[in-house]
This record gives sequence, C-alpha cells and structure tokens, in this order.
Amino acid sequence: MSELRELADRFDVVLKNKNLEKYTYTLSKSEKQEMNVEGGEFKLMRTVFNNNASLSVWLGTKVGSVGGNDLSGEALEKLADDGIAAAQSADEDPCHDFGPDQGKDVFWQGVREPDMDLFLERVKEFLAAVAKEFPKVKVMMAMASYDRWNWISRNTNGTEFEGFGGQYSFVIEISAGEGDKTTGIDGAGFTTKDLSKPFMEMGDIRQHLIDLQNSIDTKSVEGKFEGTVILTPGCASQFISMIVSNYMGDGVIINGTSQWLDKVGEKVADEKLTIALNPFDERIVMGERGTQDGYRSEAVTLIDKGILKMHRLGLYGSKKTGRPLVKNSGWDLVVEPGDQSLEELIASVDKGLIMGSFSGGHPGANGEFSGVAKNSFLIENGKVKHAVSETMVSGNLGEAVKRIRGISKEQLIDGSTVVPYIAMDGILISGK
Amino acid sequence: MLQDILEAKKNLFADGVQTVLRGQENRNRRVVFLKGNLVQNSRGESRGINARVHDHGTYGFASIAEYTPEAAEKVLKAATENATFLAKHSTKKIQLPKTIGTGEIPLNAQIVDTEQKLLIELCQTIDAYVEKKYPDLSSRTIVYTEDSMDKIIYTSDACNGHIVSPRCYLYVMMSAESKEGAPVEMFKAFGGFGSFYDHFMNPEKLYPGIDELYRKLMDKKEGVYAQAGYKTVILGGMMGGMLAHEAVGHTVEADLVRGGSVAGPNLNKKVASELVTMVDFAHEYNGEMAPLPVYLDDEGIKAEDAVLIKDGTLVGYMNDRESAQAFDVAPLGNARGWTFSDEPLIRMRNTCILPGKNTVEELIASVDDGYYLIDSGNGQADLTGEFMFGVTCGYEIKNGKLGKALLDTTVSGVAFDMLKTVDMVSDTVEWSSSGFCGKKQPMPVGMGGPHMRCKIMIGGR
Repeated sequence: MSELRELADRFDVVLKNKNLEKYTYTLSKSEKQEMNVEGGEFKLMRTVFNNNASLSVWLGTKVGSVGGNDLSGEALEKLADDGIAAAQSADEDPCHDFGPDQGKDVFWQGVREPDMDLFLERVKEFLAAVAKEFPKVKVMMAMASYDRWNWISRNTNGTEFEGFGGQYSFVIEISAGEGDKTTGIDGAGFTTKDLSKPFMEMGDIRQHLIDLQNSIDTKSVEGKFEGTVILTPGCASQFISMIVSNYMGDGVIINGTSQWLDKVGEKVADEKLTIALNPFDERIVMGERGTQDGYRSEAVTLIDKGILKMHRLGLYGSKKTGRPLVKNSGWDLVVEPGDQSLEELIASVDKGLIMGSFSGGHPGANGEFSGVAKNSFLIENGKVKHAVSETMVSGNLGEAVKRIRGISKEQLIDGSTVVPYIAMDGILISGK
Repeated sequence: MLQDILEAKKNLFADGVQTVLRGQENRNRRVVFLKGNLVQNSRGESRGINARVHDHGTYGFASIAEYTPEAAEKVLKAATENATFLAKHSTKKIQLPKTIGTGEIPLNAQIVDTEQKLLIELCQTIDAYVEKKYPDLSSRTIVYTEDSMDKIIYTSDACNGHIVSPRCYLYVMMSAESKEGAPVEMFKAFGGFGSFYDHFMNPEKLYPGIDELYRKLMDKKEGVYAQAGYKTVILGGMMGGMLAHEAVGHTVEADLVRGGSVAGPNLNKKVASELVTMVDFAHEYNGEMAPLPVYLDDEGIKAEDAVLIKDGTLVGYMNDRESAQAFDVAPLGNARGWTFSDEPLIRMRNTCILPGKNTVEELIASVDDGYYLIDSGNGQADLTGEFMFGVTCGYEIKNGKLGKALLDTTVSGVAFDMLKTVDMVSDTVEWSSSGFCGKKQPMPVGMGGPHMRCKIMIGGR
C-alpha cells in the first residue's frame, strides 16, 4: 500500500469522525529536480519536495473548498474544520456536486525513475548545438525539469483514483542580436518521457531558433490591409484557447454572454476545423485520467468539421444550465491536420503574415481581438519576405474561424498538444 | 516557533559560500459570485522552508513543505549538494558578491485572518446592490480575492528579518449589450495592502466607485471603434503605470539586460523626454507607504528605491546581488520569490513614472483630435521594449473635449520611442496593485503613473 493511500485512509477516519456525509478530496506528493541555465551557463539547481491536500465539503447543498500543503495529522484535522466552516458560510445550491461512483483505478503514466545524467547531457548537447548552429541566438533561460508525483482522489460516492506519474520538461527563452540590434524574446518547450532524441529535434525547438535568427532585422508592415494570417501551432493553440473560453466555457454559458449559446449542432467554423481534447492520444505524455468533477476522463470532440458539438461545461455549469456535461477538464488539445503542406499554404497567400505569437489581451465577450504580431514574418505573393515589428492584427474570433483558408499537414507534437498551422483570411493587419 | 528553528540552524551555514534560509507561508482566499451564484468558495495555505547556497557563480536551492528542524537541516544539505553538483558543469566562476550590510529588519505588519463567512457576506452585499440598482445589466460577477506572503529570512552575510505582505481586493465586473447586441464589459478593483478589515468593513464606501463603473459601462455600450493608426493620446495614470511596469520595467531588470534587452546599450543615454523620471519604489512614495511595500528582499538586502530613468536618461537597472556586482552597483532589494519553493528572481516592487506640472484637464484640453485612454485590462512587452496594452476604457477627444466612449482596443509601440513623444505630464499619480507580474513565478507588484500626452499606435477598425 502506498504511503499516500495510508494517509488517505487516516483522512477518511478524520472526516467520518466529523460526521461528514459528502466530500471529495485529493492528496498528493511531488518531487522536482530542476536545472536552470541563464545566459547559456548553468546557474541554479533546484530541488522541491511538496505536498498538496485539497478538500471540498458539502453540508446539504452548501459547499466549501480548502487546500494546503501540510499532510500532518494535525493539519488534516484543521483542513477538515476549515472545510466545514467554509461550507457553513456558503449559499444553498444543489448544482454543486460530483460524479457518481466510477469505481477504483490506479494510473501509471510517464517515467518514474529518471535518468538525470542523460537529461543533463541532453541539456549540455543542446547548449553546444545552439552555440555552434545559431551563433546570434542567446539562450537567456533554459529550464530542464524532471517532475514526479503520486496522487490519490476519493469521494463519498465511492470513486477512488490513484495516479503515479513522472515527466521531463524542457523550456527555453531565447533572444538574438547583432551589434546594438536585438530581437524580442521567443519561447519554446516540450514535455517527454523519452530522452532518446537531441532536444534540438524535439517539438518545434529548431524552427524557433531558425525563425529567431532571421528576426534580427525587422520592418514594420506598411499601411493597413486585410490579409491572411498563418498561425504557427503555438499561436494556433493560443487562439483555440481564447475561442474555447470565449464561446464554450462555463462562465460565458452560465452568464449567457457566449455568442455560441444556442449554436450546438450548427456550423460555427470552417469545415476544415476539428478540435478535440484527447487525453488518451499516445502523443500526449500525461493525459488527464480523472476530471475535477470526479468522472473518468473521456476524449471529446468540441468542433467536428466546423460543427459545434458541445459547450465545454463542467458539472456545475451543466446542472446550472441544463446542458450536457463534458467529462474532460484537461487541456490535451488535438487539432486535426489539413491536406496542404506548410509550403503550399504559404504559396497560396497573396499578402499576410506567419504569426509566431499574439501579444494581446484576452478578447471581450464579443470576440473582438486586437494585438501585436510577435515573432512574425510578412508573406507577399506566396513568399516569406522579412520579419516584422510594430505590426498589429485585429479581427473577430468567431468570424476568423469561419474563414480558414487551410490547415497544414504538419503538426507540432510537444507532449502536451498536437496542433497544425492554421491559415485564416480576412484579418486586419496594420503597420505604423 | 519557526523563527527559533531557522535561527538555530544558522550554525550549519557552510564557510566560503553565501547562504539564505527562508521559511515562508502563503495564504489565499477566494469567493466568486457569478450572476448571484456562489461558484467558488475556497481558501488555502502553503508553507515550507527553503535554502539557497551561492557557490561562486552557481546556486543550489532546495525546499521542503514542512516547518521542522529536520526540514531546515535537509534543505541546507540538499542546496549545498546542488550547488556543488552544478559547479562541476559550469565554467562560470565569479567572486562572491561582497557584503553590503547586516542587521535585523523588524516585522512590518500583521496578517489578519478573516472568517470565510465575512468574505461571502461582503460579496452578497455588493452583488445585491448591483442587481437591485442596475437590473439592465446582462451579467455581473463579484470576486473577493486575498493573498499574502509571510517570510522569515536568515542569511550568512546580509540582513535577517520577518516580513509580511498581505493584500486583498474586491473586483466588480459588469456586462451589458451594445446597440448591435454584442456584449461589452468593464471591471473595477477595490482594496490594496492589508486585510479585509482595512478595506471592506463598510461596503457602502464602495458604492460610488461601483456607480462610476456603471456610468462608464453605459458610455461604452454606446461606444465606437477607435480609428486604427498613429495618434495623439492622453494616457491615463493606470495606463502610465502599465507602461512603467511592462514596457520599461522589464527591460531594465538586470537578468533581462544580460539577456540582450534594449536597455543594455542604452544605459546613460536619452531614452525618453526630459519630462519622464521613473523609479522602482521600495516601501515609500511621497512620504506615504507605497502600494505594496518591500522592506527586505529574499537575499537579505534592505530594500531601497531604484532610480531607473532620470529626466529622460536611463540611469540604472534593477538587480540581485550577483548582477549588482557584475554592474558594479549596490543591490537595492529586488530579489524575491513567490512561494516557499521558489528561488528569488529580480522583480519590480512599486514602479512609477513621476508626476509633472500640468493638470489632467489641461492635458485633455490640449488635444484637437485624439483619444483619452483610461484603463487597461492587460499588457505585455518584450526585450525590445515593444509593448501592447489592451484598453478597456477610453474616450475620443475632439477639440479638447471628451467625445464618445471607445469599445475595447489595443495600443502598441516601442517604449523608448514612445516615451520620447511625451510632451505633457499631469501633476497626480494613480496606482494599481491588484495584479500579478508573471516571470517564471507570479509576484504581486504595484505600478503607478501620471497622465501623459504622447503619440502611440492604436488598433481598431
């Protein structure tokens, strides 16, 4: 029996002794070994041992949630008392709930015994490769982290999930410069359980370095025009996240401000677009296994060939609005590839941008977005011309997804998401 | 008692390295009412001990989620081992930063815990006020949020101290429908440094601010899109604060300077109009407590103000001990970590562009055709100083008078270019302190600024 399971058994006794009839909790223990690089040199080695306890208590239909990182008997006793006090203060609301008995299961994911020597060598190999192949690029920061954890989640309907996981992650922040000229910051990263490939070849790390080295000399776009913007996979993830929260999330459906409130079953996007959350996709390293509402996670398709299949409602939002529940609270994003290569997509564009990231605020409920195109290049007559600066893009999320020119065959696989390039027409592009 | 545990372990600090032992607790409280429904009712604490050891250019850091003598011993041992391990793989060998002073920094405030019941009742009172007085709103959200840091710091060769940083806010968010049927939104944050009892004992005091928010939302409901282009604008104080933090502040953090920021080659050069002076205040502004005061940083450096731009000339950076030594200046207390498991990074504290001589009315009256940009929901910038701020509240200015409200838009520019266009600065400063700055770890920061007349790129249609 795991140490955490024994702790959970003791916590159950604490909760039962307080005559609690309905609760759900998660206990976890985690370890982190993190190597930090600054300015191309190793700077800091960080070890973190942490715990977590989160508890939600129901008193009738009143609920209170509390959390802490102290798993001592005394602390768990106090956590239970705090949970009761929080629930006593709450309003009655029968929509707060968790799922029925899902049985018991143990999930093993990722790599539990790390090879820290090989991990370190991969980092050194990467730094050497950058210095050799991309001499104008500076690795401002690199963070190589191995994380391992064990968690257990139980509720009074009988569900018990336990998870053991471990993964490597690698994140870089890079800039490039020549003389007094400097680029902005770019970032890239991936998570993996497999150290067999050099980091330069993982995710889209190499592409970020190539693009950054080509971004030292920038020009602003002249004037203002409506054009095509090809979102890189990283930027496409950013846009899809905005679309989901703006039109499909609990908040906008409960308060009724979503412009897709009554669009389930209808076409809301171009038929080339299919968006799914699939925690079981083998390209995802650490897919979700249990939802925050106490259900087994399921793969769900949110938009299928342009048709809105469902909103993304948790149990509370589902009960509050009488709409279907989505048994998935993770972000294991999988976007279907298209039938054109990136090269063909670029060749099809008269005038526009390849946009590496969007520096803008979260759009308001009306979907209007406006921001700066960062890490971006001008496309003219089917050719990539030069990196751009001081160039803004604006449009409307809901309209933009209806005007998808094409989706690339190539997909970024970074261990957390699987996303292609997406080209959208009709975006307003304006220079200085 | 944690203080005794940590103090007793100072005898384990190794010779020939620099060591900091820190115990820290973070608390958070959060209550959310969405259209009258209590959708979040949570509170949490995390605590633990960490040690950081600096061994001639490499750092070892370790943390454990316990407040025990054994945990203190373990983190000291693990941090030392980590520094030694990394030193084998680094070619970087530097002299340890010199000691610039030791001493004890006294406890600056108390963290006062508040029953969850009171937080919920406050939100219910405000929600009921908004629902009753403004039934035409399409949606309303009331959020109470509170976070605090409580740190006990012992160092080998700097100051020791016990410092706390509590803050709490109430956000009121309103939505209405524009004449085209599209939703428009605005929000306002109330509160600041301190506890619930410092800010929210009398909810009625919030009503005038809520009424003003509603009036602005009604203006925005009838709002127009800004005309995209390079325009003369009056940036409000909140926008000025955002500019100080995002577009200039980050580029003058020494780690980003070393990473290649535009501030590197511009030290001691003209980067702004002579009307612009910018300071990162430690704990006091204009004879009063700064919005989020910092008295001691996590390297044991007593916090002092850092002057960044003086009369338009870039004169300094924000540093930790190591970068201060590299730039041959004194560290001023900018190294901070967010939780017990976070190493200190160079962070801003209360970054502000100082006021000038004109009134706000004079600034607005001076613009024939432009915009008055009052509030921002968010902002981002990068190493080049190229920035983007979302504008959530603004008005047209026509012939020196305010015109129609603006729908959400965005402004952008390059900080050191844009600051050279500043030709009028107001005599008052507005501060905000409710946000988090993001840089590997979140960190509460204050930011402030005056109204400024300048030229800027504005998005729109």
